[in-house]
Amino acid sequence: MAENICDLKLPLSSKESEKLKLGQIVTVSGMIFTGRSRFHIRVVEENILPPIDFEKINCFFHVGPVMQQTDTGWEIVSIEPTSSIRFERYSGQVIKKLNLRTVIGKTTMGSETSSALAAVQGVHLSKIGICGNQLAKQVKKVHTVYFLNELGKTEATWVFEVEKFGPFFVDMDAHGRNYFEELNKDVRKNLPGLYKKLGISPDYAYTHVNAGQEG
Amino acid sequence: MITKNTLKTAMYNAMVKASTLMPPDVKMHLEKAYSEETDSLSRKHMEVTLENARLAAEGKGLVCADTGFPLFFIRVGNAAQLEGGFGSLWQAAKDATAEATEKNFLRPTMVDPLTRKNPGNNIGAEMPKIHLKFDGDGDELEIIAVPKGGGSEIFGTFYRMMYPSDGQAGIFKFIIESIYDSCYAGKVCPPVIVGVGIGGTADVCMQIAKEAAVLSPLGTHNPEPQIAEMERKLLDTIREMGIGPMGARGINAVLSLHISTAVTHTAALPVAINAQCSICRRWKAKVNGSGEITYTGDING
Repeated sequence: MAENICDLKLPLSSKESEKLKLGQIVTVSGMIFTGRSRFHIRVVEENILPPIDFEKINCFFHVGPVMQQTDTGWEIVSIEPTSSIRFERYSGQVIKKLNLRTVIGKTTMGSETSSALAAVQGVHLSKIGICGNQLAKQVKKVHTVYFLNELGKTEATWVFEVEKFGPFFVDMDAHGRNYFEELNKDVRKNLPGLYKKLGISPDYAYTHVNAGQEG
Repeated sequence: MITKNTLKTAMYNAMVKASTLMPPDVKMHLEKAYSEETDSLSRKHMEVTLENARLAAEGKGLVCADTGFPLFFIRVGNAAQLEGGFGSLWQAAKDATAEATEKNFLRPTMVDPLTRKNPGNNIGAEMPKIHLKFDGDGDELEIIAVPKGGGSEIFGTFYRMMYPSDGQAGIFKFIIESIYDSCYAGKVCPPVIVGVGIGGTADVCMQIAKEAAVLSPLGTHNPEPQIAEMERKLLDTIREMGIGPMGARGINAVLSLHISTAVTHTAALPVAINAQCSICRRWKAKVNGSGEITYTGDING
């Protein structure tokens, strides 16, 4: 990877997070914890939290790692960030409750997350390419695991120490802006041209039969 | 006679190879797409993906950690003889899937849809899935293992029942809307392979869309000239959408697009879309009548 990629020290300070720009490529170093759907649902609906000091371990990684147990402990086989949008229903509340300044996952999230991140000066970082093997090599230590028996290896909360972990890119900044929403403005301008090229008239509508069906 | 053990071995090895090796046609098309992109983030996305596959091939992980749904597409000659009969295929698929999961070539990802309980071995009702087709009078068996990722299946599946008067414009509009929706923000991990099913019942329509997405050799076209023309027109147009690798700026949202048709009701025009993610994991095991197994990443091989 290019040497000029900015490495962010975890936990991320608000001074650092506010400077990050949409589309900027970064890596992170420090402590991270993992979780997926079950983590989100349990924190919000049942107030079940792992005994983590979230001020120190403040980077939430959306992932279900492939882990294997060896004689010396747990090892990572592969660790591919998972689609963050699936957690949108709960994510804003989790970010505010745990005061999370760094969230890492795959692609975009919605408006609840965006406003929660802006409230805590947090950012969402998205994965670059399909990267699970490179990321696995950058995990320096598997510190501990919570909820393993209840949730299994994929949904459990793992705590990792990482070094120059990434690269990722800033897809949601600390000011409520979103890389994909900006890009989408251009795509929307392109769509009429696509339809024209394919011979679809601007007023084309599918035949409506069902009362609830939208065109 | 093909023994139960041979079936299991062929399925296990095909699934392990699918999870750890990128098929040659996929690698070639991804490298071509990479050479066409100019946006620095788009290029970085593809560099990382190709490097990741290289590491997996060296035994340092998986082509993607989401090994998804364990699917087996099986084509068999009419004269093939299987120990215990054709029912043995299902037990062999279960045994192969459980072992691949235990050895971390598959992630334990299959759960009960309501309780969300995870048995830890990717086995449950209807999974692993076998799609069985009889073809020709030979005694051989061809197994294609497809670990199909969640991203492409969750965000890249669409179905619409249209009507004959909705015409080609309706088909095209639905395909463009589906590709736009699924590639926005890189949800399906573009550049994707798009399978389009037209006709049949709803389930046949989706089945042929899925087969078109996961089993087509990339860059090929439907032998029917009129359908091939539709594929080319769509591929050409999609490059102007403005979405590239992983949803960044670029031209390669779609790597390959394949339309498959089935006869349908005279009043109906069903269309289904199923996307396959950029890494298009699939590997083939061929078993001859005496039980010898060969493996190939060439889908035509």
